Amino acid sequence: MPITNLLSELGIMPLRAIVFQSLLLMVAIVLEAMVLRQQLRLGYRPSMQYAATLNLLATSLGWMAFLAIEAMLPLPLRSQIISYVLFNRFYANSWREMLPVAVVLAAIAAFFATYWIKLQGLTWLLKLLGQAPAEAPPIPLEKDRSQIYDRARRGQIAALPGMGPQGPSPRALAVLQANAASFTAILVVLLVVNQVGVLGW
Amino acid sequence: MVGFFRQILTDLGNLLRPPRYFAWQTVIYMSLFSWLMSMLARAVFATPFTIGLLATISWICLAIGVGWALETNKIRPFGISIAPWVSGAILCLFLFGSWGGRWLQPALVAWPLMSFAMVAIPTLVSWDLSRKSPSPVVRQQLALLFCLSLLFSSWFQFYFRIQSWVRDYPSLVADSVDNSAFVYRIPGQAIALPAGVNHLTVAEAMLQEQVNGKPWPSVERWLLNEEGQRQALQRQVQAEMGQHPSLEDALWRLDLQPLTNGLGYTLKLWAIWTGPAATQGGYYLEKTCQLMPVNQNVITQTEDTGAPPGYTTTQWASLTCNLETPRQAGNPRAMYGSS
Repeated sequence: MPITNLLSELGIMPLRAIVFQSLLLMVAIVLEAMVLRQQLRLGYRPSMQYAATLNLLATSLGWMAFLAIEAMLPLPLRSQIISYVLFNRFYANSWREMLPVAVVLAAIAAFFATYWIKLQGLTWLLKLLGQAPAEAPPIPLEKDRSQIYDRARRGQIAALPGMGPQGPSPRALAVLQANAASFTAILVVLLVVNQVGVLGW
Repeated sequence: MVGFFRQILTDLGNLLRPPRYFAWQTVIYMSLFSWLMSMLARAVFATPFTIGLLATISWICLAIGVGWALETNKIRPFGISIAPWVSGAILCLFLFGSWGGRWLQPALVAWPLMSFAMVAIPTLVSWDLSRKSPSPVVRQQLALLFCLSLLFSSWFQFYFRIQSWVRDYPSLVADSVDNSAFVYRIPGQAIALPAGVNHLTVAEAMLQEQVNGKPWPSVERWLLNEEGQRQALQRQVQAEMGQHPSLEDALWRLDLQPLTNGLGYTLKLWAIWTGPAATQGGYYLEKTCQLMPVNQNVITQTEDTGAPPGYTTTQWASLTCNLETPRQAGNPRAMYGSS
């Protein structure tokens, strides 16, 4: 039977990962589009397009980072990853004790890396679409400082370094909120699925 | 009947004859012409550069022509335009197919990106090779499409990474992946035996060599040094497996436990998998051997008639092993106690 031969030639395929990731991506894109639309006062269509582009970019860069890092990890840790991917559980070896901490640290790192990628991605995307607002020209230090004092005297919020004169840019805040919303939603979905055991796993 | 054939011929003629010069048929003919020219060049022993150039032109024209044909004839299954995917596939076949070896991996990984290029290039570059500047709407679509093709490419890479894991640890295939949240195995595949079976076979052959047909007292002495034999067996099997080293050999542990059984012993040989497994506690493969004393008078009689009395009653060891190696869950040491 040639078709059976072909199937056994294909072996183990990441079909569940593809299906599951597509669903999670849809949830994330819809949520982030809602946040972006409210925060940045965008239309329905552009907010969806921005959210979709940013999420797809972050996801594929995440895959590349995972594939690159996985190849460089020590063998016992690699086999733990293999165990998790193939059997959905870790097994007892020298890394077993450290794994929960490592997973939490990796998740936090992933959150901030994703945030950075999305923020950069949004800047690039707006520039690509010719919608980037003119970058505020860097104000000379002396003038800036006097402005800060001036504003402080008038009882306004002092600008922190690394932020624009009006505090953090609305774009950065919107992307942070969107990212937090989608991460929370995905985490909740994963926890519920793991608890309930939907779809037979 | 004749009219029917004539109708088909006219249809075919209309299909093959380009309606104008700027049509997909022209490109396909250019591809065919270029391919024939490369054959001709090969026949007259032209330089490899000439042949390669002509073949390259032929492949590129084929990709463009097929994509164009699919696009103009509105062949869109499920409303999705497949023209760039087909053109990208043809180009990937051409680029990586000549590599030989594992060419499928780079070809499949590059396929989505190549398809994206097939969509992007016509909108970014005009016919006279000057840069076009598409409208923001098109640019947004292109950015989205690029990210999507990057994701598809990542999925292909992940698939090939899983295959390389399976090459490194072949015994993983022998386990069930039903619990996985990532992978799925289409049912009905022949599932290979775990490599531990080979370890057990090698160990059995070594045991046969060491105890089978030896005098019973010396075999009992051999068994007294249980720990030593266990280590020797592990070393020998590792050395034997070292001829075809695999990453997973370090994850198989060989163990041996003699249990008294009447006059003789039952030897349990275990190949314990200490790597990733679908079940809590892993699994092990067990081979059961019977080590029994037998009276082999025949040997003594033929050897020497003047043997000392009592020599004829000397018992010899006989080792018989079961062929099957049933797979058990857990760790045998938990059941039989540590050695």
